[in-house]
Amino acid sequence: MVISRRRLRWRERERFMVSLILPAFVILILFQALPILMGANASFRSWALYNPQKTFVGLANYKRVLTDPVFYGLVLPNTFLFMLTSVGGGLLAGLTLAVMLNRMFRFERLVRTVILLPLMVAPVVAAIMIRWMFNDQFGIVNVVLEALGFEPIPWLAKRWTGMLVVIGTDIWLWTPWFALILLAGLRSQPPEPREAAMIDGANAWQIFRNITLPLLRPVLMVCIVIRSIDAFRVFDIVWTITTGGPARSTETFSLYAYQQAFVFLNFDLGSAASIVGALIIMVVGGILYRVLSRLVEVSR
Amino acid sequence: MKSEWKRVFFGLSLTAVCLLLAFPVLWMGLTAVRPASGVFYVHRGTEFSLGNFVEALSKPPMVRAFINSGAIATLATVFSLGVTITSGYMLSRFSGKLSNTWFGLIYLFRTVPYISWVLPLYLVTQAWGIFDTYAGLLLPHIAVHICFFSWLMKGFFDGIDPDMELAALIDGCSRWGAFCRIALPAAIPGITALAILTWLWTWNEFLFALILTGSRTPMLTVAMAQFVHELGIEWNLMSATAVMAIVPGLIVTLFAQEYVVKGLRV
Repeated sequence: MVISRRRLRWRERERFMVSLILPAFVILILFQALPILMGANASFRSWALYNPQKTFVGLANYKRVLTDPVFYGLVLPNTFLFMLTSVGGGLLAGLTLAVMLNRMFRFERLVRTVILLPLMVAPVVAAIMIRWMFNDQFGIVNVVLEALGFEPIPWLAKRWTGMLVVIGTDIWLWTPWFALILLAGLRSQPPEPREAAMIDGANAWQIFRNITLPLLRPVLMVCIVIRSIDAFRVFDIVWTITTGGPARSTETFSLYAYQQAFVFLNFDLGSAASIVGALIIMVVGGILYRVLSRLVEVSR
Repeated sequence: MKSEWKRVFFGLSLTAVCLLLAFPVLWMGLTAVRPASGVFYVHRGTEFSLGNFVEALSKPPMVRAFINSGAIATLATVFSLGVTITSGYMLSRFSGKLSNTWFGLIYLFRTVPYISWVLPLYLVTQAWGIFDTYAGLLLPHIAVHICFFSWLMKGFFDGIDPDMELAALIDGCSRWGAFCRIALPAAIPGITALAILTWLWTWNEFLFALILTGSRTPMLTVAMAQFVHELGIEWNLMSATAVMAIVPGLIVTLFAQEYVVKGLRV
């Protein structure tokens, strides 16, 4: 308001516009833009948390991150694997659930309450529950396996089973979100094309494949883009379930940056890694958006 | 006859899915009421007690963590909505360079991963002397909400016909008056839904709480991890805390469902 009053030339309309966004703008600059710039700055300097020399070292930190076998050999593959399987799995499960719910008449409220449950549970709480269920000695999953005559599996002590548990947890957490949004999409579809196809003798799968799904594509696209960006930066559930272990084999990109900065105290390397990740997700997000919007156009 | 079988199959598979979705929560509830002696054999034994809840709450920072998380969630909801309602209104009602620039800016910031700005934020809040205080946690929370919420708020206001506001302006109402008296009341349902979700998201948030707080401002999601020590994990106490932590979510699921479902639409 103060800034805008000084410029008396400004018309009343512009002044109003600026005053509407000013509080949000100030907070965004101070608590988001400024830290990002500071992190970018630190990524070009020698900056350990215990010894912040702040001498300029150019791209040395980026080189160290990009040539770190943990980063390109474990962290990046894990992050992309997590993103693809978690979004894909959640989407499939959510779509199935949405289609099922769409034909329901009775018990809808009850079923919806159950479905909303994972959405209301903190990811950290979910992760704690899952860790307990998959505990190698006393977890219910191994108890059941043993009762059925199988060997108990040390789930969280191996890379692939650990990843499986983490991905499964994320799918569990996000299936309801997909289901509710896709259900809303399904409910808003006009019934005429489906009825016409039914009269023409199409079976249920043909109708779903050729009519329902193409009509749902815009909603699907938004879901996929939003979830992919979020899945790329996953932190809480991986940190709580495996802490990146065993031996850093389930680390994802956010965990890597956190570990570098606050466990190994290399703030410079952590910043460089987080900038690399930010660039990757911006590119991936852009490509995803392009590809998906082309798919939508084709389907029209 | 065939359709009868189909309906049974449909009902059974839906029940199975619901059980699968609810099982981890149920299992945690069961673990929470088992005494420490029976916790490793939750599936056997018939002893139950509420002692875990009392014991979990008696640990030093636990009560404070509940209070802090509640306070931060409430404050963050009020302030985040406060600044994004006006921001979303501006995006919805005005076009032109200023509006487009603001939209581009928030879209850009939305894609930046949290970790990229939470790491340096640790140093920023320390330099400004607000590390490990309410302000040091609250302001970043508001900042993280700005991008997404401005976008959602724009959607709420897009759904409201601007003609009424124009009429009010012509009748001599100020722009702020038209906003507060006409647009805002019409957007209340959407805003209420978002308020409920914001409260829950902040209550459940972990990364900010982990990096931006220390011992002075314990937060619930971080404090929960204190039941891990050298001897192992006190699963019964951890579960009891987790059960208490999901009570707000449970209340919302039971009583404010319609609002939440509406608020989730993209």
